[in-house]
Amino acid sequence: MIPLTEALLAAITASVPAPTLPVAVEATPVAEMSVYADAVYTGAGETIENAMVVIADGKITAITPGAEPGDEDLHVAAITPGMVDLSARIYPDGYSVEETEEVTPWIRVDLSLDPFSRDWDRQLRNGVTSVVASPYDNNCIGGLSVALKTGGSNSIEARTIKSNVALRGAIGSQPSSKNHPAFGRPTDFYSRRPTTRMGVEWTWRKAMYDALQAEGDKERAFDGLPQLLQALNGDLPVFVQAWATQDIRTAVFLKEEMAGEGKPNMQLIIDAGAEAWREIDFLVRTGTAVVLPPYRASGRTTDGAFFAADCAAKLDEAGVPVALSSHNAKAGGETLGQQAAHARRGGLSFDSALAAVTINPARMVGIDDRVGSIEVGKDADLALWNGTPFELTSRVVGVVLDGELVNDPRK
Amino acid sequence: MLNGLLAVALAAIFPGDTDIPSPTAAVERMTAFQAKLVHTGDGSSIEDCVILVKGGVITQVGANIKVPSGAELIVHDGALSPGLIALQSEDGAVGELNESTRTVMPEAEARYAFNPEHKDFSRALGVGITTLVLAPSPRSLIGGRTAVVKTSGGRVVKPAAQLMLGLSSDALNRNKFPTSYAGAMGELEKQFSNPEGSVSRAAGGSLPVLMDVNDRAETLRAIAFAARFDLKGALYGSYWAEDVVPAIKESGLDVVCTPFNVGEGSRGIRSVVGLSKAGVRIGFGLEAPDRHPESLRFGVALCVRDGLSPSAGMKALTGDAAAIAGVSGRVGRIARGLDADLVLWSADPVALSSTVKAVYIDGKLVHGGNQ
Repeated sequence: MIPLTEALLAAITASVPAPTLPVAVEATPVAEMSVYADAVYTGAGETIENAMVVIADGKITAITPGAEPGDEDLHVAAITPGMVDLSARIYPDGYSVEETEEVTPWIRVDLSLDPFSRDWDRQLRNGVTSVVASPYDNNCIGGLSVALKTGGSNSIEARTIKSNVALRGAIGSQPSSKNHPAFGRPTDFYSRRPTTRMGVEWTWRKAMYDALQAEGDKERAFDGLPQLLQALNGDLPVFVQAWATQDIRTAVFLKEEMAGEGKPNMQLIIDAGAEAWREIDFLVRTGTAVVLPPYRASGRTTDGAFFAADCAAKLDEAGVPVALSSHNAKAGGETLGQQAAHARRGGLSFDSALAAVTINPARMVGIDDRVGSIEVGKDADLALWNGTPFELTSRVVGVVLDGELVNDPRK
Repeated sequence: MLNGLLAVALAAIFPGDTDIPSPTAAVERMTAFQAKLVHTGDGSSIEDCVILVKGGVITQVGANIKVPSGAELIVHDGALSPGLIALQSEDGAVGELNESTRTVMPEAEARYAFNPEHKDFSRALGVGITTLVLAPSPRSLIGGRTAVVKTSGGRVVKPAAQLMLGLSSDALNRNKFPTSYAGAMGELEKQFSNPEGSVSRAAGGSLPVLMDVNDRAETLRAIAFAARFDLKGALYGSYWAEDVVPAIKESGLDVVCTPFNVGEGSRGIRSVVGLSKAGVRIGFGLEAPDRHPESLRFGVALCVRDGLSPSAGMKALTGDAAAIAGVSGRVGRIARGLDADLVLWSADPVALSSTVKAVYIDGKLVHGGNQ
């Protein structure tokens, strides 16, 4: 309904003095620290054995091979970059989506985030230091996603790595699931929204064509136009939930149709693409990236989509950028590290599994200048492991976030 | 028992006797209240204090005041306090303050919704509440303006006291606008960016706002919104405040605390105590008639039990509450020139073992005594 101004969001987050931090894990602020490991998996193409990662002022300042830890030093079996989950699903469900309309590109999820939610700590403890939060997928085009750290300050602005990292939407059954046609007088807004897959696709296409027609024509301007044009021009990735093969096709075809209308640069990221393994050719042809949902024993997922165990391996082999996700904001789910282990069992190489939970997702939303690998100058976000990462027998025992040991493996 | 009340009782029995004034005559004649302990409403108390009342207004207060001859003397062997003030209630207007068909209705006024003769008010009087704030529902983004009313006689102390803003999830809906925080904040921003009428007065700081919040994130959002548009006023909702006390203190906003139920968990109590200790001005909502009006005093007693100073508790019920509602020039304290809204207690009002013996509004006996 109303595009939020930058000023409001800045005011809402900036003017709040940071209050005391009520997180379960105790933060130990240190300006300078070193962590030793038998193996440091940098995620930048190198594995360095018996190395020390040196940190100052929240950044990585050196990775030194052959360092000897003293008895008092922090020493673990392995270090990987802090993991990145693009589909962590941290939001207060319905309150993050403005369902008055089915296309709401101006809605920013920032305002619905609760920095005090326990979901953040659950991610952080398991080594996930960066996440993307998106509006709940009840709208066709729900709004703008944001990339954040999973801990630190209680101010959402201070946690933000980058605002407006993607235009989030959904294709499939969810955006139409509660809607129904109006028999007689409509009783609420659910009686005037798409009720079918065909309707959902039409809504997406209509939004795109409305934007094309309004480009450069002030008379036709509408709320959400700037975001749609950014998406069409490739300045804002389009991050679409599409579990089943027909929905993945819909997204890809939409991108190709827009290319035919003079907009060849639209960047597409499929989220929860369980059946992406069926559509590898289309994905390669359109340069589409894929975020996979968490593995399930039966392979059966939402919308009847079958998530094959070798999905990640096949996509990786074909050169499709792939990221893994845990959807693990709520208690009881498996961690992102476990998803990497499942993907390895499906044939994904260690290096690709590492990339799929670190640098690949960071690149997809353009935050790889700060996070996603262990390199000098990058944010000191580290996952500390008690054994070889992505083995089902290993787990994250410690976490460094922005140079602070927020979870100490010695305790 | 109480000489004054005996006099009143006699007046009831012998209405023709002119030497014993009837309660209604108190408005015209001077009345002197003499109590063992008087809580003045600003946190202090005076022992063996005399209060002179004429024309419904307090004319003098002090320990060494001579009672003028001809004045009716009411001697009370217990505590006396200003009438208690509840900062949120639907008394006399149940179901009439939630206009669910429009989420933005800044010009709506709670004062036109209540029935002054409703029995809810006598329940409130019975526990010593003489003034309350009738508030539009926080289920709207901008619900309208609150009204400060007396609990007897239907007098409106302040007609458009505060602008009610719904910043909690209570203002979000399942099937109509807004369904999201971002949608809600966008609409509020639109209203306050091009303000008209009451919104304009709120944006200028001349009309205080009452911002409903539930959780911590909502509290921080409300504080930021108030800072952005220079709003003055109060947050309504204290349960989670414990974790954001410094931000609330910094904001300069007052807090209308959520009332308590029997069996209340300790977090809400710690929040109130924490706010008070940090120097945040607090008062209490009532959410009557859903809650029994005695929950007002009950909540304060729980907080005192957990560390709130009794004088801060009394202030939250009287002087500070009046300041939050913008009526401190009329009620909330026992001071010269203020309305003679007085409660005679058997003992310390903060202790739950004490009971209300008599309630006066504008110098008139409206509850208890032997009327």
